[in-house]
Amino acid sequence: MTSNVTTQEGKSALSSSPPAAVDRQSGRERPAFMASQPPTKVAILGAGRGGTALLDLLHQIRTIEIVGITDQNPGAPGLQRARELNVPVYERVADLIGNHGVNLVMDVTGDPAMERMLHKQVPTGADILSGPASRILWELVQHESALQTELLHAEKLAGIGSFAAGIAHDMNNPLQLILGLAENLAEEQDLEAVHLQARDIIEAVKRTTAICRDLTSYSRRASSLQDSVITINTKLDEALKIARYAVALQDIDIRKAYQPDVTVKGNPDELLHVFVNLITNAVQAMEHGGTLTLETAVIDGAAQVRVSDTGCGIPQELFGQIFEPFFTTKPPGKGTGLGLYNIKNVIHHMHGTIAVASQVGRGSSFTITFPRDAVTGDRSAHP
Amino acid sequence: MSEFKSGFFMGDQSSNGRVLIMDDEADIRKVVRMTLQKAGYDVLEAEDGQKGIETINAGENRLLLDVIICDIRMPKVNGIEAIAYFRQNYPRVPLIVLTGFPDTDMATSLLRQGVVDYLVKPVEGEKLKASVARAMEQRELAHL
Repeated sequence: MTSNVTTQEGKSALSSSPPAAVDRQSGRERPAFMASQPPTKVAILGAGRGGTALLDLLHQIRTIEIVGITDQNPGAPGLQRARELNVPVYERVADLIGNHGVNLVMDVTGDPAMERMLHKQVPTGADILSGPASRILWELVQHESALQTELLHAEKLAGIGSFAAGIAHDMNNPLQLILGLAENLAEEQDLEAVHLQARDIIEAVKRTTAICRDLTSYSRRASSLQDSVITINTKLDEALKIARYAVALQDIDIRKAYQPDVTVKGNPDELLHVFVNLITNAVQAMEHGGTLTLETAVIDGAAQVRVSDTGCGIPQELFGQIFEPFFTTKPPGKGTGLGLYNIKNVIHHMHGTIAVASQVGRGSSFTITFPRDAVTGDRSAHP
Repeated sequence: MSEFKSGFFMGDQSSNGRVLIMDDEADIRKVVRMTLQKAGYDVLEAEDGQKGIETINAGENRLLLDVIICDIRMPKVNGIEAIAYFRQNYPRVPLIVLTGFPDTDMATSLLRQGVVDYLVKPVEGEKLKASVARAMEQRELAHL
């Protein structure tokens, strides 16, 4: 399993030379003016829901270095998350805050005794964020999470516009059959032919109904219910069905290499959106046809999903940008630039990683890896 | 399929004309065939643009095909590519587009290229027959 949770692991393997200033944790290049500034060293106390959310959020900020996290409960979800992110985990608060030249101690334990203790123990020069300030921070983190959900939904709805051609094709074809048969039935004398054509009409109506069902189910807001165990193979097939409204699959050779019973715990609506997006991108990269490969596997307890195409590929110089919000290579009005950004966020919330490998003219592959605990569902719910 | 008869440039004298329907959906080909056969047309089918091109290039169809009805979204060779081929190689064979997706820009462009009609599914049998009849008139005028 990869040790880096960020979304661009493939970049370092494929880039010809490392960027001048690279963030240690995220692997992202820093703007030149920041290159010389040392990162703010942050210690997190508490690894419950708040600590985990904070960890996920701060980890993405290039000017922050998380020096460690601690929690009195060794089973706290944030500790496992920290290990995945290569953030040191400490058993004792004193070991964490007493070293490393910590600039800021963020206490999200909610324990008043901890707050009092910190004011005595935290080294001079380090700031403490606890009590009401900590609660406000938690509110902000939740707000950020809600905004990301809204953004995901907005991008999904924007994308549905591109379904128009596919929907029209799939609705109007059965309607043509229904109309043609009904016109014929008005004059048909042969009773057997009447029965056959009536049956064809019923089947055509069922097909049309299925289109509406698929799309209304897809376009709804992702449910905010608790995460559930998702069978990945089924979800990929469902995504393929939806994606065909957005992109024409007639000239695409679809290959599936599914390992049976690959599961992950997460939000099924959000994961469906991730798969639809990846498949749509892959097909759009193959303007003149090609092969779309969908693979699933369990490797060392971790679930892997790979969506590959034999399309135009992604130039190396864009690897660092493709997961950034509003980055798109599509013409104006054709892409929101939020697809891969939202994918990254969803995968991140599911404690997974996404890596890209690509060669111009040969194709691209996106590999999502969910760690063992996400596969078995052996982890507490996250916000 | 009807037999080849004399009347070289008037097509098969036993039918009202020979029509090729190109659509990847078998159901669409079926109802178009049903409608046009009842109106006395001889109907050929092709499941994509490539098959359509093969059909028109096969034997007597080069000379006897009167009208082509063409879908847009098809595998291998799509409708736009097939229409370009027909306009270049068989400019006298009238073309009717029968598509599931109403696209004004595409309709305008295709009509400018000489397509006789741009029909959006679902289309009534009477309208389809009227369109084919108009195309047949154009076909006959082309032979004068």
